[in-house]
Amino acid sequence: MAPIRDKFTIHSKAIVCQDVELKGDITIGSGTIVHPKATIFAIAGAIVIGSGCIIEESAIIVNRRKEIMRIGDDNLFEIGCRVESPAIGNFNTISTRARVHHTVRIGSYCVIGAACVVVPTEEESLGDYTVFYGPASERRTWSGRGKVQEADLRHKHTEYLREMLPKFNRLRRGDGT
Amino acid sequence: MEPPVYYSRAEFIETDTGNKVSRRATIAGPQNIILGGKTIISSGAIIRGDLRRTGPGHAVVISLGRYCLVGEGCIVRPPYKTYRGNFNYYPMKIGDHVHIGTSTIVEAATIGSHVVIGKNCVIGKFTIIKDCAQIADNTIVPPNTVIPALSLFAGSPGRFMEDLPESTQEMVEAQTKQYYTRFQPLDR
Repeated sequence: MAPIRDKFTIHSKAIVCQDVELKGDITIGSGTIVHPKATIFAIAGAIVIGSGCIIEESAIIVNRRKEIMRIGDDNLFEIGCRVESPAIGNFNTISTRARVHHTVRIGSYCVIGAACVVVPTEEESLGDYTVFYGPASERRTWSGRGKVQEADLRHKHTEYLREMLPKFNRLRRGDGT
Repeated sequence: MEPPVYYSRAEFIETDTGNKVSRRATIAGPQNIILGGKTIISSGAIIRGDLRRTGPGHAVVISLGRYCLVGEGCIVRPPYKTYRGNFNYYPMKIGDHVHIGTSTIVEAATIGSHVVIGKNCVIGKFTIIKDCAQIADNTIVPPNTVIPALSLFAGSPGRFMEDLPESTQEMVEAQTKQYYTRFQPLDR
């Protein structure tokens, strides 16, 4: 296998802490926040992260596939989650210590609950508003109630972090700057 | 008495008040964190003191009492919410004699004294844990839960299992003190 070429394209308005492990071809969009101790590995294909995402500490995002892994806008990856899915839409929440396998494509407005494991053996695409919950990772569909409030919270959260994180953490810049 | 737990002197920093903090722990915003004394922070732990409440002046983000233990790979971070339209992180207070097991994630608002939290737990945002409560290993406590005093919680989602004996306070106190004395440096 060819060695992994590191190429980080970080938008000037993105906040990526120094203490983040990046490997491979990674593009991070504007306003996305990566907390310290997060890990993003593009082992085979590239990873493209949209704008306004929050990636918390010890979250792991891995792309083992050849194709480009596309992550949309305003997603929240909470503490210690592990995501390998090749496509993620917008406004999803991957909760604390959840795991999503590389066979799953995630739509928009999905929630993977705390410590849920989503590991189907066959390829699967999650429709919009899918929610996984409980110890057995059961699923149901969200009515979409409180969507605006949730979006507002997410928006304010990123805004807060954009202001606060640079005060206490050293930031990482892309190759270009 | 049980055998001592050894650590290498080079790895830990010991403060005047007897706190032992691993160099391999990630402590963000240390000026906002208060350690009560004789508290141990193990390697790989992450403590987020940088997520402070906005507003003027000095803000304490995380305060830990005496004889606490933050296990290996633990993540302690304050909870957040919007209140009256303003987004904020809120301070976290942890009492004395609190042990937090390895790889546990804590986003509680308050943890009382003499609390024992097991391994691999997830303590949701704004959880309130009262004095002398215990949480079994692998428990997932949902956000905004209130765990009453002298109760054992377990499962996913974390539920009340049983009442603990009234001697719990003395037992935990003795245990945590003993752990601190057992935690000895090894020169090599």
